[in-house]
Amino acid sequence: MAFLVTFHWGWLLASLLLGLAMGWIAVVHRGQGVSKPVTRWLSVLAVALVAAALSRVIPGRPGYWLDLGLVMFALYLAGCAVGSWLRDWALSQHKPAA
Amino acid sequence: MHGLFRWSSKWWPGVIPLVVFWAVACWTSTPPLEADLAARSTAALRDTVLDKRRIAVAGRDVTFAADAFSEDGRRSAVASVESVPGVRLVNDETRLVPEAKPFVWSAERDVVRVTLGGSSPLPASKGKLLEAARAGLGGVEVVDQMNLSRGAPPRFDSAALLLLDQIGKLKDGKITISDTKVSLSGMARDLGGREAIAAALRNLPEGFSVAANEIKAPPYIFQAYKDPVASSVTLSGYVPDNNVHAALAATAARKFFSEKVVDNLKASVGAPAGFSQAVVPALGALSRLSTGTLVVSDREVKLSGDAFYDAAAGQIRAGLGKDFPQGWQFKADISVKPAAAPVDATVCQQLFADLLAKGKIRFESGRDTINPDSAGLLDRLIETALRCPTVNIEIAGHTDADGEDGFNQALSEKRAQAVIDYLVKAGLPANRFTAMGYGSSQPLAGNDTDEGKAQNRRIDFVVR
Repeated sequence: MAFLVTFHWGWLLASLLLGLAMGWIAVVHRGQGVSKPVTRWLSVLAVALVAAALSRVIPGRPGYWLDLGLVMFALYLAGCAVGSWLRDWALSQHKPAA
Repeated sequence: MHGLFRWSSKWWPGVIPLVVFWAVACWTSTPPLEADLAARSTAALRDTVLDKRRIAVAGRDVTFAADAFSEDGRRSAVASVESVPGVRLVNDETRLVPEAKPFVWSAERDVVRVTLGGSSPLPASKGKLLEAARAGLGGVEVVDQMNLSRGAPPRFDSAALLLLDQIGKLKDGKITISDTKVSLSGMARDLGGREAIAAALRNLPEGFSVAANEIKAPPYIFQAYKDPVASSVTLSGYVPDNNVHAALAATAARKFFSEKVVDNLKASVGAPAGFSQAVVPALGALSRLSTGTLVVSDREVKLSGDAFYDAAAGQIRAGLGKDFPQGWQFKADISVKPAAAPVDATVCQQLFADLLAKGKIRFESGRDTINPDSAGLLDRLIETALRCPTVNIEIAGHTDADGEDGFNQALSEKRAQAVIDYLVKAGLPANRFTAMGYGSSQPLAGNDTDEGKAQNRRIDFVVR
């Protein structure tokens, strides 16, 4: 993992920033969200992919691509969470003033 | 926390650019990543001894194939690759170098090249052997057909290096190590090469032994050529040592009384036993020929040429082989020189005088036994006597002044008679010769010096 971070820090940083931006928007976004059952299915898929990556069952280049994708996705999620939380906190700071 | 769940349902649109990022990252980073891992895996194996090493990287997985020389070496090589940062999986396709049983190594020499074959334990020792072969053999082409195998006996390298030194001493042949047994066959380049190799084999490392040493030595050749036109005798080939060389040169000088002896002999080891005992009588036989060649090859003596007269040819054919040591062979191809034209008494006397001026009939000291060294001179005298068949000849014996007159008188008579006996045995009629003894009464020189005495001791042929 440390190797992936040092080798791909640019892409990982980009994922993180993308996540921050998406998280920032998501709080005030009025569009359609993902329904609960779909979320559940997506979570199962994510867990399965993580399990596949950790058990190293996918060989060669696809295995590497999976690892890279999961790391980027994890950082995206982390970015989203931080972004959403920041936006929420920022909004709560403004309300009393308004 | 509840907010996080609520917001997270709206995070999905960002996944679309994320997937694009991911695809671009995969597209651009895979080849450099693989090259980087391959380079670092190779670097990690830099100090490991392996054969047929091959590293292939797919993603972060390394396929590593190699032949290792021990199980420990194989495991540590795999571990080195596994410990390279970034490597996810190692597909271990390593194996041990096959074990050779028996472990056979060979060096074969023919006219133009040396071929190294069989098994060698490690790439380093293979390189060392090749380098040693190239350095030790000068310009000879060295062909490498060695495989790498496990199972070499201890101290293999030093044994093989020692044997490579020996291949330089061979003209052609093969040296083989099979486990700890060494076999040699072929022909030594020089005389003495076989002995030098045998001596070097005593220094084989502990544990190695010689199973078969069938190195042959080149024939030990000694040659003598008597040329009547140039009036010379050329000696060539080998003699065992300088003492034998000096003795043979002295013998040749005595036996070839009128010819110049050209000495091209070289000293070399490897002479067959009884060399001197065979060569000295063979030179004596050659001295009795008008023209002839003597070739001694190992234990075979070949003499060919022309004798001066029939009886001499018979004597040479019958007599020579008897003097040889055990195991020696003699082949004679003796013909008889065509008889020279008859001459009258005056010319006959002149011919005798010329011959006796060049050489003297020698006897054992104080006795009337003719020295075998004089056989060549006597043959020439007999040939001359045959050219003047009507002439009567007085054989006159003379001594120096040492000793009593009576003894000298008797000795001179007996020596003159011994010469007549020799002539008669050669087929000349006894009634043509008269033996006369003059003791010391007719000196040619003063009896006060050794040279003078030597001149006075003589046999003269006087035509009557």
